[in-house]
Amino acid sequence: MTSNLEVRDVRKSYGKFAAVDGVSFAVPETGTIFGLLGPNGAGKTTIIRMIMDIIAPDSGEIHLFGRKRGAAELRRVGYLPEERGLYPKMTVIDQLLFLGEIHGRKRRDLVPAIDRWLDRVDLAKWKKAKVEELSKGMQQKVQLIGTLLHEPELLILDEPFSGLDPINQELFRDLFHEHRKQGRTVILSTHGMELAERMCDHICLISQGKVILTGGLREIKRQIGGNAYRLVAEGDLDRLQGLPEVEQAVVQDGVVKLLLRPDAEGSEALRRMIEFLRIHEFRSEEPELEQIFLKAVRDAA
Amino acid sequence: MQLDNIRIVAKREYLQRIRSKGFWIGTVIFPVFAVAMTVLPSLLLMRSKTTQKIVVLDDTGRVATQLSAERSKTAPPEPREQVRMARIEFIREVAQPDRKAQEETLDQRALDKEIDAWIRITPAVLTGTPVEYHGRSTSNFMTQEVLEDRLTEAVRRVRLADAGYDPDKVGELSAKVDLRTIRVSKEGSRAEGGAGGFIFAYILFFMLFLSLLIWGQQVMNGILEEKGSRAVEVIISTVKPFQLMMGKLTGICLVGLTQFGIWLTTMVVLSAPGIVGSLGNMPDDLKIPTLGPLVALQFLLFFVLGFFVYASFYAALGAAFNSLQEAQQVAGTLGILFAIPAILMPMIINAPSSTLSTVVSLIPLFSPVLMPLRMVTEMPPVWQIAAAYLLTFGFLVLMVWICGRIYRIGILMYGKKPTIPELLRWVRYS
Repeated sequence: MTSNLEVRDVRKSYGKFAAVDGVSFAVPETGTIFGLLGPNGAGKTTIIRMIMDIIAPDSGEIHLFGRKRGAAELRRVGYLPEERGLYPKMTVIDQLLFLGEIHGRKRRDLVPAIDRWLDRVDLAKWKKAKVEELSKGMQQKVQLIGTLLHEPELLILDEPFSGLDPINQELFRDLFHEHRKQGRTVILSTHGMELAERMCDHICLISQGKVILTGGLREIKRQIGGNAYRLVAEGDLDRLQGLPEVEQAVVQDGVVKLLLRPDAEGSEALRRMIEFLRIHEFRSEEPELEQIFLKAVRDAA
Repeated sequence: MQLDNIRIVAKREYLQRIRSKGFWIGTVIFPVFAVAMTVLPSLLLMRSKTTQKIVVLDDTGRVATQLSAERSKTAPPEPREQVRMARIEFIREVAQPDRKAQEETLDQRALDKEIDAWIRITPAVLTGTPVEYHGRSTSNFMTQEVLEDRLTEAVRRVRLADAGYDPDKVGELSAKVDLRTIRVSKEGSRAEGGAGGFIFAYILFFMLFLSLLIWGQQVMNGILEEKGSRAVEVIISTVKPFQLMMGKLTGICLVGLTQFGIWLTTMVVLSAPGIVGSLGNMPDDLKIPTLGPLVALQFLLFFVLGFFVYASFYAALGAAFNSLQEAQQVAGTLGILFAIPAILMPMIINAPSSTLSTVVSLIPLFSPVLMPLRMVTEMPPVWQIAAAYLLTFGFLVLMVWICGRIYRIGILMYGKKPTIPELLRWVRYS
């Protein structure tokens, strides 16, 4: 199967520091939201910048739409960088025309498309205003239109929700889902695991410049999922981590998210816990992405 | 696509700037300022041009009669142009035996503003003693210069007569010889003004220099701004740094050329009646130098090319530095680099086809000024002109390419001042 995006053994060092250390992953062709996940400083933005040909990798290859990435392929991508920015002195319409044109669209096609988009996000009457006259939220909308205007087949979003108010968050999310429904692909880079859990179909976990886990979110959850439990109990919760069956125990608001070792039995663990805890609730549950991530990071180390 | 991107970026840059108020304010203010600087002082001087009344006491009894307010035709050339601006009215008065009393009265008359000054010509003046000038003001250097000129002539005539020569005859015999220059070229000989075509080369140089003072900074700022705007990350993914640099440079340079065009057109329109009017008064021996249409076109081409090449240096600074202050420190020294052609110009005028002239006129940075200069002094072979175009253009592309390289890395490295070795490394790999 050809991929929308394939990254092959890409490396990038700054001096002795390996920011990206042999990263490979592929984004399936069908309409998906692919999460590029990891903590701050993991190398996500560096990977994205290499995909977008903003910085050159030291080695490795990047393929887009089944071809070696070139200028023509990049024009089929919509890119929303983490550092947002528009030309402050330009009017909204000029700004959008410019962004559309550098993505290879003709002016006459762009004009009606821009009108449709501005209507959609309630900015029609700001069309001739300068960007600097707009509120921050409005500027974010303009930037988003600039990303989607040329109908990209692949969207690459670097922390798209940072700095958004709740209304714009919802608008952005709707548009991304819409984009996927049209059979296109979204790559979403974020350190917010909760958000990724809600939105992504596929994930690629990055830590310290390396891929530590990649695949469909469902399958990953199924693989690890059998051994995730929710525990509500009183007593010395700190002792949980010392149990031989317990891989990971995260306490949150009186609820313990437990991840047992793959070969461990839930009933065996429960028997041991009864000895030092008053248990109110103990049940099997899908693991959260956050748990999966923490486990993967520990396994990799 | 490559050219398309350059065009799109250039168009954005051009339209944004042309539409800005700053552009129009600059376009209007600069000529107003320039006119004010050149015309106002002479206008003011004209107003102050009242006739100076000077009383002449002549002890010799011979010099004063030779003294006239107007210059005679046989007098040596005037030392300064401004001398024409000063007017003197000589009032001859008879020297009284009581010198002291007469001088005191004259001083009083000067203080009462009846006269402006008085002078006494003693017999010793004929042997070289200075003439004393007693005036209310001694800083009216122009009047003094004219006065000196007139006195010299008068005294010279008296001295000549004393030596037994006819002053008029001597003037006639020592008349100046003029040179009428005729340039020999393949297109045929034709008379030209002595100042000749190289005046145009100087004009070209000063226009380039002037435009860079204004627009070099603009190019530098434009590129710095682009880094600051952070809009660049989206743009750079589809528009390569070379295209972006070339586009910006083209856009901003075209704005500069537009401004020049506006100024030039206005100047021609405004001064056309003046030129026609003044043609009638033009002295016969002064010919206006002219350029053939082909050479004029080449001047224009070299101007545009030179503008781009020089501007590309400012672009490089904009790409390398993070703040205007840092970049400006270095930008100041660029002016020295651009002044080198001016230093070389006299050498070329003297020996337009020497090996050295040929070599320096082919150096890309100097070609835009020196090659046109050679064209108007002694037409160089066609291959050399072609080589100058090619080398300059190639150099421009190279400069923009280097800028693109530096820029690409510079945008992602904030807050750090680059060192020269770092810049070189950036250029080698990206």
